[in-house]
Amino acid sequence: MTSETPRRRPRGRGRRRLSRAGRLLAALLLVGGLYTAFAPGLAAQDTPLSPTAAEGKALYDVSCITCHGRNAQGVEGRGPSLIGVGEAAVEFQVGTGRMPMARQEAQAPDKPPLWEGEELERNTAALAAYIQELGGGPEMPPGTNLSAGGDPGIGGELYRINCSSCHAYSGGGGALSSGAYAPGLGEATDREIWAAMVSGPQNMPVFGDNQLTPQEKADVIAFINYLQDDGDPGGVFTLGRLGPSTEGVAIFLVGITALLFASLWIAGKS
Amino acid sequence: MSAQESLETEHGPRPGTTLEPAAGTAEIDINAPGVTRFDLVREGARRDGIEIVVYEPRVEPGSRLERRTERSVALLFALAGLAGAAFIVAYIWWPWEYPGTELNAFHLQRFYTPVLGVTLGLALFLLGAAIITWVKKLLPHEVAIEQRHDGPSAEEDQRITAATLTNVVDESGIMRRPLLKGAIALGALPLAVIAAAPIIGGLIRDPHRPLPEMEAAGLDLSPQDHTGWHPALNDGNPVRLVHENGTPIRPADVAVAGQVTVFPGIPRGTTNYYADSPALLIHLRQEHADELRGQLYELNEGSMYGNYVAYSKICTHAGCPPSLYEQQTNMLLCPCHQSQFEILNNARPVFGPATRSLAMLPLALDDEGYFVAGTVNDAGELVGSDFKVPVGPSYWER
Repeated sequence: MTSETPRRRPRGRGRRRLSRAGRLLAALLLVGGLYTAFAPGLAAQDTPLSPTAAEGKALYDVSCITCHGRNAQGVEGRGPSLIGVGEAAVEFQVGTGRMPMARQEAQAPDKPPLWEGEELERNTAALAAYIQELGGGPEMPPGTNLSAGGDPGIGGELYRINCSSCHAYSGGGGALSSGAYAPGLGEATDREIWAAMVSGPQNMPVFGDNQLTPQEKADVIAFINYLQDDGDPGGVFTLGRLGPSTEGVAIFLVGITALLFASLWIAGKS
Repeated sequence: MSAQESLETEHGPRPGTTLEPAAGTAEIDINAPGVTRFDLVREGARRDGIEIVVYEPRVEPGSRLERRTERSVALLFALAGLAGAAFIVAYIWWPWEYPGTELNAFHLQRFYTPVLGVTLGLALFLLGAAIITWVKKLLPHEVAIEQRHDGPSAEEDQRITAATLTNVVDESGIMRRPLLKGAIALGALPLAVIAAAPIIGGLIRDPHRPLPEMEAAGLDLSPQDHTGWHPALNDGNPVRLVHENGTPIRPADVAVAGQVTVFPGIPRGTTNYYADSPALLIHLRQEHADELRGQLYELNEGSMYGNYVAYSKICTHAGCPPSLYEQQTNMLLCPCHQSQFEILNNARPVFGPATRSLAMLPLALDDEGYFVAGTVNDAGELVGSDFKVPVGPSYWER
């Protein structure tokens, strides 16, 4: 039997090498395959962006990348990370012209947006979609009338406890530290107010849906709308809308000064 | 006008007359025939110690200048009347009802008050201008001299005045009517006390008398030394942090970089009864919370819960609410005097008049996962805790 056993022929060097390479290749394939199978994060990264978001990425790479970095991770000393800020932040910052910033300063000022009309809407939506798909974050409800069903009475109470310390009792805004300021709310739209509350732009605190429910947000917006539409009875000059006493003090000071000079003039004449 | 003219033409001096000074001269006989009305006027002034030395018309009667001045005075009166009439018309018919939120920049309602003010002011001004023009331009030019004595009154006058005054006192008989004397004191004393009431009234109530709630808990603690977060006010249990409507707060209710004003969850906790208790609960970003944790005062050790921190909302300068929270620079601003507190360094004041850090409220979670004011001791038990230091401005006993 043993004689029948085929005698092993010594393999050639070349074949041995080939076999070793084959085993290495198989091992590499196995490891790679396992890694691919068990690393879903990597697989998710490969999910292509939606067409709108891809459009947004193109815009991002032109207008935002300098300060916010290649993957919106932020650049030290220039701009913060945009991971998790959500579409609400994009809509607020780009829609009100705050972004892109013209220069580094205490606070990005409200200015005419980079685009106009439909182009602004489309580009803002594209950027918002890109940032949302990139890092998630607060989303915006649809529609332009976000105060529907809001109670300005309740909204007023919420406004006074949460907003009035910075934006003033009648929405006039006010100064903060080191050149920063809380802007006036006279021209703010429903969507801008909502976006600001959920995203906390600049130095404004975030008012998430757990703290101010969507209904309470509608209440606050209804109150701000009321402030915006409210007239100033009994006065032509609003003087910061600080109330009738302001106009009274102003006319008292101006009037007394005028009368003083008038009496001096009369005394000098006679 | 006619009376004025007749005075000048029939009973007064002719134009250009200058009367020679006659002070101290003998009084004229007013019953003598031929005495003019102006003579009577002059005599009356002289008896009062006033001598009229110059009396002349300012304009020539019937001259062109007089007619022109007359016309301008009349015009001023007419305009005053017109402005007055405009006031009445505006008062009655100008739209004044507040149309609510419909009011815009072009509504006439906005101008109701200004229109009233302008028309009435114009009417009064024109009336005054007319009278002054009349007096200055048409009335006769007059120079009168009144002799006045130097120094004190004559000795005789002084004696007469003193006698008159003492007579009044004597007439009242106050000296021999002691009952009335006492009655006056009784009636006037309370009035004097009323004047002093605002000054001494604050001393009546002892500011250190414990609240009834504290007394019920058997604690003799001055309200100056605790706030509504004291566990004794909640049967010894830690006091929950609540919204202004009384709902308790979970960590998830405050977003990262968010803030919420919290009140003690006890009866009347959200009212002014515990006005020194409100605090600002802040959810810091991870890196910011780490920075604060790294430099907590010894006093504040264990007062943070995770990335949450709560500071008293009463400024240590004058008691205003320093609730202007800047979430990127991590500053708390006080709106009254611009004090700035560094959130990441125990709310230390870095600008403005405040000199002490804001008090930090110790945070913990109760069994149901709601925020309470308290700390977890070494044995792992939750112990309710008030602010570790008095809140608000320094007071005189500290």
